[in-house]
Amino acid sequence: MRSDERVFLLGEDIGHFGGAFGVTAGLYEEFGADRVIDTPIAEEGFVGAAIGAAWQGERPVVELQFADFASCPFDMIVTVAAKTHWRSGLAVPIVIRAPNGGGIRGGPFHASSPEGWFVGVPGLKVVCPGTIEDAYGLLRAAIEDDDPVMFFEHKALYRRLKGTKPPEETRTPLGRARIARSGSAATVITYGAGVELALGLEHDVEVLDLRTLWPLDREAVLDSIGRTSRALVLQEAAHSAGVASHVLALLAAEGFELLDAPPVVLAPPDTPVPFAPELEDAYLPSAHVLAAAVEDLLGY
Amino acid sequence: MLLQRTFEERTSALYRQGRISGSLYDGLGQEAVAAAAGLALEDGDVVAPLNRELATHFARGVTPADAFRNFLGRGNGPTFGRDGNMHFGVPARGVFPLVSMLGNLCPVVVGAALAFKRRGEPHVGLTFLGEGAFSVGDVHEGLNLAGVWQVPAVFILQSNGYSYSTPSSAQMVNTNLAERIQGGWSIPATRVDGTDVLLVFESIKAAVERARAGEGPQAVECVTLRGHGHAAHDDARYVPAELRESFVGRDPIERLEATLQQTGLAEQANAIRRAVVAEIAAALAEAEAAPAPDPATMEYGVYANPL
Repeated sequence: MRSDERVFLLGEDIGHFGGAFGVTAGLYEEFGADRVIDTPIAEEGFVGAAIGAAWQGERPVVELQFADFASCPFDMIVTVAAKTHWRSGLAVPIVIRAPNGGGIRGGPFHASSPEGWFVGVPGLKVVCPGTIEDAYGLLRAAIEDDDPVMFFEHKALYRRLKGTKPPEETRTPLGRARIARSGSAATVITYGAGVELALGLEHDVEVLDLRTLWPLDREAVLDSIGRTSRALVLQEAAHSAGVASHVLALLAAEGFELLDAPPVVLAPPDTPVPFAPELEDAYLPSAHVLAAAVEDLLGY
Repeated sequence: MLLQRTFEERTSALYRQGRISGSLYDGLGQEAVAAAAGLALEDGDVVAPLNRELATHFARGVTPADAFRNFLGRGNGPTFGRDGNMHFGVPARGVFPLVSMLGNLCPVVVGAALAFKRRGEPHVGLTFLGEGAFSVGDVHEGLNLAGVWQVPAVFILQSNGYSYSTPSSAQMVNTNLAERIQGGWSIPATRVDGTDVLLVFESIKAAVERARAGEGPQAVECVTLRGHGHAAHDDARYVPAELRESFVGRDPIERLEATLQQTGLAEQANAIRRAVVAEIAAALAEAEAAPAPDPATMEYGVYANPL
């Protein structure tokens, strides 16, 4: 915001209050009510307004209070933002930030990982950082990008990850996965909070952090599987709802001969996210369940 | 008005001849609103027209050839053959491409107006809302935001009596949209006969200038009757004869021509008519000669910055 006057923020309770998760804390004080705009509860309305402002050359960044609420402005995102450049040549540079993921006992309406709703939509880019450096670098790159970007931030990482702010010039290129750890026996393909979980594995596995979920970095997936020959896709989105199906489709169509074992998806069951601690803990992928799944994959 | 009427008479014939694919929408009887709204805007203002507002495009500098290229699905048309009929806009002319989902464009125009206000630019954003859109949540969110933010947005309420086949009385309790918009969102609104182009122009121009002067969002309700069905396949047999009869003698073009004759401008009016017929014929010929889109280019432009 300091380097580009066109950047301004829209969202619920992001001003004086600093946002439900404190992400915009201090920005209202520095940039004022004209650039940090508290909105009514009208996601379709303010995402639409962001599109209109982008039409007129601004670079709006919208905060959805919870990613679950992406259902509310869905039409504006997939109908207007995603299709406009293709059908008119008019770019729509908006970023929609949305805290996804569980672990805070949010239940069915405050803990979802709905990035799969947007994966596969032509015209949208879908991003989800798993590290502090990428949270900064991807956000800067997304704001500078001329396309609409869905920017998912795992809410458990807001407090779990500790570190200093990356250098000002840090940019993480959109559309590029990153090998978070090299390994040779298998590849864990993941993103967001899954990165930290996978890095905890003691096995000799490669961890591929997708970072951008759509368009998928197909080359990075195939390159890694070419080296390891075994794939496990780890996601917090429900089993059939996320990017895992796209990765498996890619492996089936273009990586079949690279594989020594059937690829595995480790993801929650196909239900909404449950509330009670006993249920949510069983629902979310855990370190020991991941380790067991990797053992099975390596033992195939 | 005459450009829109003549263009749409032409596309209607082309559609019946099978030379236009898909659907076909026109604005018969509503041309005064479309033309007046377009002419009320200045350089730098922006607009998001809907299906009945071809004249708004023309008033903003979109050419009949541009429009024909879209209706004919030509590769060098405003949507490159990727969308048809009235589903287009020309961003270079400040015209946002129409989106079918009614109500979407209301918040979009509010956002454009927000950009003008943030930058202190003396421009306005204008869009249209029919009774159909008025039942959509987006419209309520957009009107509310326009009021809260006090942005220079102008809403033209197209009250043509129907959304598709459903009369307004089956969609809302109070069909006086101006009253609702003024009472519900505290947005100043006037209600005028939408077939009187001079009155419509005066009303919309005044609203645009109030918005430009910093008086916040404005609305003008224009009461008309949709002259045809929703689209070319719809014969509008559900419109009661009494309602049709109440609009006899209220064709906006005939009304203006009568005024021009009374003021001794009949010859000029006839000259305009001849020029429009020639312009439309030339534009159609130009569009028909334009190349079809190349399927090999289908994936171009999905992204402004391809990865």
